[in-house]
Amino acid sequence: MGARRVLVVDDDPTLRETLGEVLTDDGFDVRVAWNGRDALEKLEGWNADVVILDVMMPVMDAFGFQSALDERAEPSPPVILLSAAPGLASAASELGAVSVISKPFHLQDLIAEVRRVVGPMNGRAATSGV
Amino acid sequence: MAITEVRHVDRQRHAAPRATRTLAELSHGPEAFRLLVEAVTDYAIFLVGPDGHILTWNLGAERIKGYKASEIIGKHISVFYTAEDRRNGRPERNLRAAEKRGNIEDQGWRVRKDGTRFWADVQLSTLHDDQGKLFGYAKVTRDMTEVRAAEDRERQLVIERQARAFAEDAVRSRDRFLAIASHELKTPVASLQVAVESLLLNREHGTLDVPRTERGIERMDRAVKRLAMVLDELLDVASLERGATTFTFSNVDVSRIAAEVIDRFAGVEAQDRVAANLQPAIIRADAARIEQVITNLVDNALKYSTSPAPVTVRVAAQPSGALIEVSDEGIGLGLGTASGLFEPFSRASNAADIPGMGLGLFITREIVERHGGQISGTAAPDRGTTFRVTLPKQPPRNGHGGS
Repeated sequence: MGARRVLVVDDDPTLRETLGEVLTDDGFDVRVAWNGRDALEKLEGWNADVVILDVMMPVMDAFGFQSALDERAEPSPPVILLSAAPGLASAASELGAVSVISKPFHLQDLIAEVRRVVGPMNGRAATSGV
Repeated sequence: MAITEVRHVDRQRHAAPRATRTLAELSHGPEAFRLLVEAVTDYAIFLVGPDGHILTWNLGAERIKGYKASEIIGKHISVFYTAEDRRNGRPERNLRAAEKRGNIEDQGWRVRKDGTRFWADVQLSTLHDDQGKLFGYAKVTRDMTEVRAAEDRERQLVIERQARAFAEDAVRSRDRFLAIASHELKTPVASLQVAVESLLLNREHGTLDVPRTERGIERMDRAVKRLAMVLDELLDVASLERGATTFTFSNVDVSRIAAEVIDRFAGVEAQDRVAANLQPAIIRADAARIEQVITNLVDNALKYSTSPAPVTVRVAAQPSGALIEVSDEGIGLGLGTASGLFEPFSRASNAADIPGMGLGLFITREIVERHGGQISGTAAPDRGTTFRVTLPKQPPRNGHGGS
């Protein structure tokens, strides 16, 4: 089995790029997208093990993305919501997200959460251990 | 009031009812009406001669005005009026008006025997004899003091309710502002924190090479600049909301301002996505602020639609002033709930739906309102979004803008 796949969806380029780089360094196969519509394109023929998803984005937000995702035949990947928006908990339950991280956050916490969601068999720890 | 019947009793006033007669017998004669009138306690009902002198008295009159029949009969009705009304000739004026019109209603302060005032509702009707000659007036007075006080309390309650609603509105507006402000600040702070922590993580892992360091510094630089920009916007909003910003109004052609804004965007956008449909529209406005409005709307439209879909800026002269329209062909603002799209412009807005709209539109609305204009937006899925700003020829005189 290859590296676990993470899709990072956020309209803030700085955050998106940094997360992409850090998670790649951590041994994940990472793709980044700047909004929901872009994310759907990135998922074509590439099933993510987890999606790190911002809530409010131009063009297509988390809600639009999730409903488009639900319409696909493939099982939908688990979602970690990442947002500075108020009312994040209600958004999370509406979206069926597995967890919620509110901005700003510690990078280590996000990495730990991604590892927890996708399972133990991957990442920097996996390549050096097991 | 059975005024015509009172006319019949007039001649027999103050004849005591004879105990030997039954009420049933009485009810067939004019005596019954006198008894009825005398017994009424909530209304002062009495007869006044053509010259304004009091001829009869009832229990209600005694209770309301404080005089006994023996004290008041023969006195002029002006004793019930306030000194000021007497000076102004109100008693005589009322009598003359009633004579002319047959019946008048008057409301005002009247004076009791003890000098206290009560708010009276007065009906004054003329009485004529069989030949049609005026032989007096029927006066019915009701003490409305408590009714009036209740009305005053009700009015006061309405005022208090309005004040409370206004205060609650202000609190909501402040909460909304704080929600937007915190969201707008958290975003660049999150970027900055992640950029810094990724450098620290690389240092910890011994993987901090020059390219990573350089990328990290660039990201931190971008985040800090974004943060500074948000702070500027927040200060601008705060200053606008306080009314501390002075607007400088002069005659400006809105289409020329729009043309300058579009030129600036043409340099930034890789493709020439901004199309123009501009007609001269000259109004009195703050040129720099109108430029800010158009910039914000175009910026927003570009952000919420994807290249190469065009963003169209239309400026037109209207009889009332100028129209600015900025439309995109995007998918119609990608916020979660369609109903939340334009809520920054309504009082009923839910803070949770707004932050994605950013401070730009908040500032835009504030500027438009200070010009006495209006802003509205329409969005339809896959048909794009249109913001429409109408500005009057002249800004409001009483606005807090300087001139």
